[in-house]
Amino acid sequence: MDGSTANRRNGVCLMYGWTGKILRINLTDQNISTEHPDHDRYREFLGGRGLGCRFLWDEVGPGTDPLSPGNKLIFMTGPITGTRVPASGRFSVTAKSPLTGTVFDSNSGGIWGVRLKKAGYDGLIIEGRSDQPVYLVIDEKQVRIKDAGGLWGLDVPKTTGLIQDAEGKAFSVACIGPAGENLVRISCIMNDNNRAMGRGGLGAVMGFKNLKAIAVKGSRQVPAADGEKLDFLNYETEKWLKANPITSQGLPEFGTPVLVNLFNEYGIFPSYNFRESQFPDAEKISGETLAEELLVKKKGCYGCPIKCTRVTRTGSDSGEGPEYESIWSLGPECGISDLETIAEANYLCNRLGLDTISTGVTIGCAMEMTENGTFDSGIRFGEQDKLKPLISDIAYKQGIGAELADGSRIFSEKHGGNGFAMQVKGLELPAYDPRGLQGMGLGFATSNRGGCHLRAYMVGPEVLGVPKMVDRFSSRGKAGLTIFYQNLNAAIDSLVICKFAALAVSEEYFARILTAVTGIHYKPQDLHLAGERIWNLERIYNIREGFSSRDDGLPERLLREPVKNGPSKGHVVELDSMLKDYYRFRGWDSTGTPAGKKLSELGLEGI
Amino acid sequence: MYREFSRIGRDLFIQGLNSSHSGNMSVRLGDRLVITRRGSMLGSLEEKDLVETGIEKNDSHITLASTEIGVHRAIYRNTPALAIVHAHPVYATALSLVDDEIIPIDSEGQYMLHRIPVIGLEHTVGSEEAARILPEYLREYKIVMIRGHGSFATGQLIEEAYQWTSSLENICRIIYLTRTLKGEIKEDKNKKYNQW
Repeated sequence: MDGSTANRRNGVCLMYGWTGKILRINLTDQNISTEHPDHDRYREFLGGRGLGCRFLWDEVGPGTDPLSPGNKLIFMTGPITGTRVPASGRFSVTAKSPLTGTVFDSNSGGIWGVRLKKAGYDGLIIEGRSDQPVYLVIDEKQVRIKDAGGLWGLDVPKTTGLIQDAEGKAFSVACIGPAGENLVRISCIMNDNNRAMGRGGLGAVMGFKNLKAIAVKGSRQVPAADGEKLDFLNYETEKWLKANPITSQGLPEFGTPVLVNLFNEYGIFPSYNFRESQFPDAEKISGETLAEELLVKKKGCYGCPIKCTRVTRTGSDSGEGPEYESIWSLGPECGISDLETIAEANYLCNRLGLDTISTGVTIGCAMEMTENGTFDSGIRFGEQDKLKPLISDIAYKQGIGAELADGSRIFSEKHGGNGFAMQVKGLELPAYDPRGLQGMGLGFATSNRGGCHLRAYMVGPEVLGVPKMVDRFSSRGKAGLTIFYQNLNAAIDSLVICKFAALAVSEEYFARILTAVTGIHYKPQDLHLAGERIWNLERIYNIREGFSSRDDGLPERLLREPVKNGPSKGHVVELDSMLKDYYRFRGWDSTGTPAGKKLSELGLEGI
Repeated sequence: MYREFSRIGRDLFIQGLNSSHSGNMSVRLGDRLVITRRGSMLGSLEEKDLVETGIEKNDSHITLASTEIGVHRAIYRNTPALAIVHAHPVYATALSLVDDEIIPIDSEGQYMLHRIPVIGLEHTVGSEEAARILPEYLREYKIVMIRGHGSFATGQLIEEAYQWTSSLENICRIIYLTRTLKGEIKEDKNKKYNQW
């Protein structure tokens, strides 16, 4: 990047893309203030995940208990949020995670982030703790802290509905359900009823703060430095989204569950708590079956032409989803193949504010421990009738649910079954068996927020051929590729753009879009550099919290138990060799610590 | 089937009818089709580069299929074709940028293809517009050119569609070469084929 087209009006330096304004609310003393971060900070950390991490580094010091007033919730939009750029309507929230103890960002679609930006704010930092339940109402003119005593205990749709009744339908609502209120470590924050900032237990952080909801409304335009060029780039981007079969057909027609049959065929669709890498009844729970049996209509996030959201109905319930990951976690992971049961379990998680992935994987862990005789948690694989009651027990911390509410790592450690928790750094693994995807295995192990598929998304090159197909069983050359995608995705998460768009459009487009919106000349390489800066800052944050290379691991099963059957038969994750290359290629020392030279290159030397 | 795809794909690349990652091919199998994987290298296809999916119905394999899957499906729905070759022949693409139709001036070309329509589209790659318009032409012609993009040829066998592609490029090279020569063409049968 080289220089900025400053937007000056009456002698005041304004910005394009970013609003230049952060809203800060202290719930302890109810102080409300706004601030204007330095422009360099925007340029270097972009927005979303990047800016969120920078604020967390500066403001949430080492050893802070995630469930204490010292932790902060940092909601961030990106420089292109609120523009007409396709698939750009996302936002993120960052905090120290009560599930992993790491820096943690989670992002979501819908329209909430767009409304926050259009209310005039790039971000919202919430600190302290209210002594009574409250909710926030934010628009272009004012910010109010209101009593939420009447909302406490309600589920997500009821909370959303009551706030919209009181404040107006033009308000978009992000809120927690009972799971967040009860400080469940696998709880999430929901927005626009069915969209989830799903992972890492950030719902509990909000619950601890006695913050039930945040309602936002706004209608300001987000000005672009070069509107004509942006129009052209939007046209070009939409053209490629329409041309690519993933974004123009697969996702629009079947939603994310389009991956079920394909990944099962490839032997990378784990089941029974990762004991198997295929599921015999995959067809019954596939995107094709979902479209035939449960689909009511399709929906999309703000400004998104892909429209991958499924509105569905079972015999007795309705809602949105389930997504690919949720079908898997509440289905094959638990040995369940009834699609209606899975869909209803997913609706219930959304209402109660639970992360579907962590919920399903934690239950899968308990099921295996029961079958194995390690600890009788009262549920076994395939017992679908027990699934919904158990989910409810987790959210309300009742019975065995009170223990499962802490996630699989704490649960399994407590009952002598460490090997059964399919997690990395405490975060439950998603729906990919890395024994058939070596790069994905390295991505899981090195992810700064724990077992996450989205940090590197090596499924792109290892299965979908994006940008090119590589040998998924080979560990050679995977370290460099994984780093490349971790850096790029850190930048994409900071813009904040949907990763599905990146399946059809390269970073060259994103750099040009960012240039047209902000007036600052970004090259594709600048996005990679920003991503690398963000990745390293996250790493240093975790090191400050006591994490080290010993935490860059995988569950023993994936390292020692070869896949028994199917296309991935005989494979384990060859982590050790990839990890050595990974540290070296990152410019870190052998303990996985970023060295001084690397920090200098990234402008992090003062850290 | 893999061997046939592999053989034709390699020849398309060696002849310069495709660059390293361009072009795609398919064959029809009743209500299904087998098509090359998106981003595959036709010059060195592997078995995993062949993707089977529905002609009328999508399934999970759509996530791997060629970007031009929509055009292939439309052609199969609306023509009796059993095989399709899409290529990026250099001389034909160059001529498509300056001519509204390609009329062979060599004897083989006139026997084989007679006349090749050039179709101008706003969106050339994987577009609904191409899927809507191309089948109409391919009911009447063996091969068509999308201006500035490439050719779509149909046949009952993949080798047949390949042949039309190869012939088209030969036709265009001859036209190009004669246009660069100073002398007059002694015998021009263009008028006949203008009416084809």
